[in-house]
Amino acid sequence: MPFQDESSLIIIIPAKNEAVSVAQVIADIRMHFGGTILVVNDASTDDTENIARAAGAHVINLSFSLGAWGAMQTGLRYAEQQGYQIAITMDADGQHRADTLLNLVLPMEAQEADVVIGAFTERGSPARQFAWGFFRLLSGITQEDLTSGLRAYNHQAIALLASSHATLLDYQDLGVLLLLHSEKLRILETPIAMRLRTDGKSRIFSSWWAVGKYMLYTTTLCIARGSRLPIIKRRQGL
Amino acid sequence: MSYQLTSAFLGLSIAGMIILLIRRDHLHTYHAGWWLLLAFLVALLGIFPKIIDTLAIYLNINYPPTLLFAGGMGILLVKVLTMDIQQSQQERKIRRMAQRMALLEDELQEYKKHHVSK
Repeated sequence: MPFQDESSLIIIIPAKNEAVSVAQVIADIRMHFGGTILVVNDASTDDTENIARAAGAHVINLSFSLGAWGAMQTGLRYAEQQGYQIAITMDADGQHRADTLLNLVLPMEAQEADVVIGAFTERGSPARQFAWGFFRLLSGITQEDLTSGLRAYNHQAIALLASSHATLLDYQDLGVLLLLHSEKLRILETPIAMRLRTDGKSRIFSSWWAVGKYMLYTTTLCIARGSRLPIIKRRQGL
Repeated sequence: MSYQLTSAFLGLSIAGMIILLIRRDHLHTYHAGWWLLLAFLVALLGIFPKIIDTLAIYLNINYPPTLLFAGGMGILLVKVLTMDIQQSQQERKIRRMAQRMALLEDELQEYKKHHVSK
């Protein structure tokens, strides 16, 4: 393995009704990477739990749905409890590629950052790009890919995000970044290649109603916790 | 005189309803205290509506009912705001608890796997 101790690394995959893609995602990780694979089953109504378990992942079940971030935080609390040093979060829909995970771990191993974000900036309609530009302006965040679910956290970041300060967040995006920033953790963004979604839909941007809700939520968050400082270092080139 | 009768009737019935709800244990004591106070106020203003007029004159308010509306809305605003704060705290606790339960369930399963089945 490229990194020293894979037993201290955990890959957290929140999954809600992802029976179609979750097995492939797990197999993909096992082929390219080591570490514990944890699927947090966010009260799925399909067979996600059994499929993930059969594919070799450790599965934790939530008794009712807490949303994407609530499930992810469950995984982070598990990581903290079990003493993992690095936690990688990944989507269950297959758009993140396991062969890019190393790009996230290496800067962390080199102690360059406390949080590494895998950014894929070419995606998104003009409307989404506009929304992101607006939020960047409002929050002071200079990150390119605001909603990327592909991130690596070190132990310090895990402890912070597992705490109750982060419990009332709803998405793993700006709110999490602003919290990390307020505790002076170093955030690094690194460009990575991504697959297009196999089922082609985004959970956050699923309908106009959802987009409106998300915009209002994030605007509020920016006003409540925003800062005008540039907070993310960017790395050029793949 | 008859408008005072109406307002007294209204005030007393609202106060009576609140007290009935408290007596039937529909409200946590902390909330019940607040509503008991409000019931008392409603009853008082219902029986003596002139209080509002006197107070309005004293405060230089031309149209006394606005004092009642502004005061009532202010009280409701504070109440709703504190409710939302409490609800947020509860939401936090519920989420933490659901997560903890999931983790404990997992721990139990692991324990059973290693200790019970052998």
